[in-house]
Amino acid sequence: MNETNVEVNPVPEAKLEVRKSTLKRIFSWTIRNLKFMLIPMSRIKDLSARQFEFEKIKSKRNFLQRLRSPLTILGIGLIFFIVTLAVFAPWLSPYTFKQLTAFLSPAYGPMSPAHPFGTGESGRDILGRCIYGARSSLTIALPAILISVITGVIFGIIAGYYGRWIDTLIMRITDVLLAFPPLIFALVLVGAFGPKIEMIIAIYGLLGAPFYARLVRGSVLQAKELPYVEAARVMGASNWRIMFRHILPNCISPVIISFSFDIGGIILGLAGLSFLGFGDQRLIEWGNDINKGRFYLYAAPWASFFPGLMIFITVLAFMLVGDGLRDAFDPRLKNL
Amino acid sequence: MVNKMGLIQYIFRRLLVLIPVMLGVLAITFILTRLMPGDPVAALLPHNPTPEMIAAKQHELGLDQPMIVQFFKYFGDLFTGNWGVSFAIYPNAPVWDLIQEVFPRTLDLALLAVLFSSIIGIKTGKISAVHRNKSQDTFFRGSALMGVAIPIFWMGLILQFVFAHIFPIFPGSGYRAATADDPTPITYFRVIDFIIYGRWDLLWDYILHLALPAFCLTFITIASITRQTRSSMLEVLQLDYIRTARAKGCAENVVIKKHALKNALIPTITVIGMNFAGLLGGAVLTEFTFNFYGMGMLLIMAIGQSDYFLVSGIIFVITILFVIINLVVDIIYGIVDPRIRY
Repeated sequence: MNETNVEVNPVPEAKLEVRKSTLKRIFSWTIRNLKFMLIPMSRIKDLSARQFEFEKIKSKRNFLQRLRSPLTILGIGLIFFIVTLAVFAPWLSPYTFKQLTAFLSPAYGPMSPAHPFGTGESGRDILGRCIYGARSSLTIALPAILISVITGVIFGIIAGYYGRWIDTLIMRITDVLLAFPPLIFALVLVGAFGPKIEMIIAIYGLLGAPFYARLVRGSVLQAKELPYVEAARVMGASNWRIMFRHILPNCISPVIISFSFDIGGIILGLAGLSFLGFGDQRLIEWGNDINKGRFYLYAAPWASFFPGLMIFITVLAFMLVGDGLRDAFDPRLKNL
Repeated sequence: MVNKMGLIQYIFRRLLVLIPVMLGVLAITFILTRLMPGDPVAALLPHNPTPEMIAAKQHELGLDQPMIVQFFKYFGDLFTGNWGVSFAIYPNAPVWDLIQEVFPRTLDLALLAVLFSSIIGIKTGKISAVHRNKSQDTFFRGSALMGVAIPIFWMGLILQFVFAHIFPIFPGSGYRAATADDPTPITYFRVIDFIIYGRWDLLWDYILHLALPAFCLTFITIASITRQTRSSMLEVLQLDYIRTARAKGCAENVVIKKHALKNALIPTITVIGMNFAGLLGGAVLTEFTFNFYGMGMLLIMAIGQSDYFLVSGIIFVITILFVIINLVVDIIYGIVDPRIRY
């Protein structure tokens, strides 16, 4: 962008300095810079402040425009829906958590105005359990993915940056961890450590880490040869500073893309785990409900149909957004 | 021309890399399975055993030795076929025999799924790429996305409900009819056994039982194959030699089938191989849904009851197959694509 080409309209003198509270200032700054915190690729070369604003709006428009395919919007809407269910479960659910885990009768009752989705095991309302299920799915999936992204990215950068024996060691460890099919590894770990929610979060965090480590290592290997790394080194930056301030922001976009896919994958894996009866029995989980309902499949199909539908919707939503993010980040990949 | 020496060297190198990986896998399996809360001695002995009986049994199972000795003994035993005994599910049954019985059924499922999904997936991927952004493409891409996002057990239950309950065409669960009188197994592969015995009724029954689970697995597998074929096909269609082929007057059909598809299929081979490896270990959910008694079902039962000799045996089979199939795929890749040099 050539600086002279940009028309600089004189700013009308600020009328009266309206005093904003500190909280408001922080809030509006956060909103204005949200994109720059979330999407590291969106930083711009040094420009004057006005041009900076101009470019920012332009690139934001581009990015949003690329993100604006109908399927992605559908995905975002569905995620919003699921998150709303999870956050406001006690208000949205027609029954309280206690009623949903109590022993009532009759079990596997049909759909009725009182129970729009019918009732399941011990006469528990399926609609309420579907709503609460969103809560446990997201509570497990989000921390798990954060653990795997953070661990994976740190080890991936270290492996790619230092190379040599550190690289070999870390990559062999990821080889070992990736040689297990994920569901089976999760099953064995749960079998060994017991089906507790904190254990399951840790297990899924561990399962995803080697994948991210490989992903990041690949792009670090390319990025570390670039001139700006040399420049940073000449300026006397330490290894850690180069890794996390210079290389990391340039290698993070594949991670962000697979992040969304992976939340879907984890929710699916989690549902599989609890379907097999290895979930935390204290929670209300969709997979668990299907597991209980499948014995009454022919008599009460609703008891396993609706929880499954919820899993499907949730996973589909994250996958759709993942697809959209991939296209928006890298338009070359579109239609591939 | 494939450089034969290079290929052999490559295989050798890959096998060398495999050794530390397999050692790590075995170590992790050993540690995790020994952490399970099962107690083989109590399970295998009659009620109220004397201390001498316990000591004798511990010695027999090798549990009285230090952990590190146990690990190396376990490692050595894997190669001699002495994989220990099951103690919770089938007390005193050798693990090797149990796996030998259930593994062929899982293999049948995986083979069927891979076969059908490759045939269909390559076709749909090709159609998607040729009619890019048209209605066919949208349809196949949408179905592929559904195949990735749908929980396989949910789909299995819906299939069961529709095709076993509303329209009772297929049996809903199990791998054989309750009344079936199986002849003594020769090869443990049911299809081959039934052909040898000439029991066509049992063969048909087995095929009916395979249909629904195999359909489920096929649907899931088609998704990734379609996606891969489509993307590599689109990439190939942009290359110069395709334009040359068109310029010299090849029919569009020939260009796509003879020129483009052959090269586009190379990355698809990897995906098919990975799917096959995944299915051998990952048919757990489908087998559980349909009560199809294969290796996955046995694994779930074993983990549920902490039958750890059995668990470590099954995991060993799954991981080694996973690793070997990946190796074979890499080698095939090199043979099919002459551009790759080792």
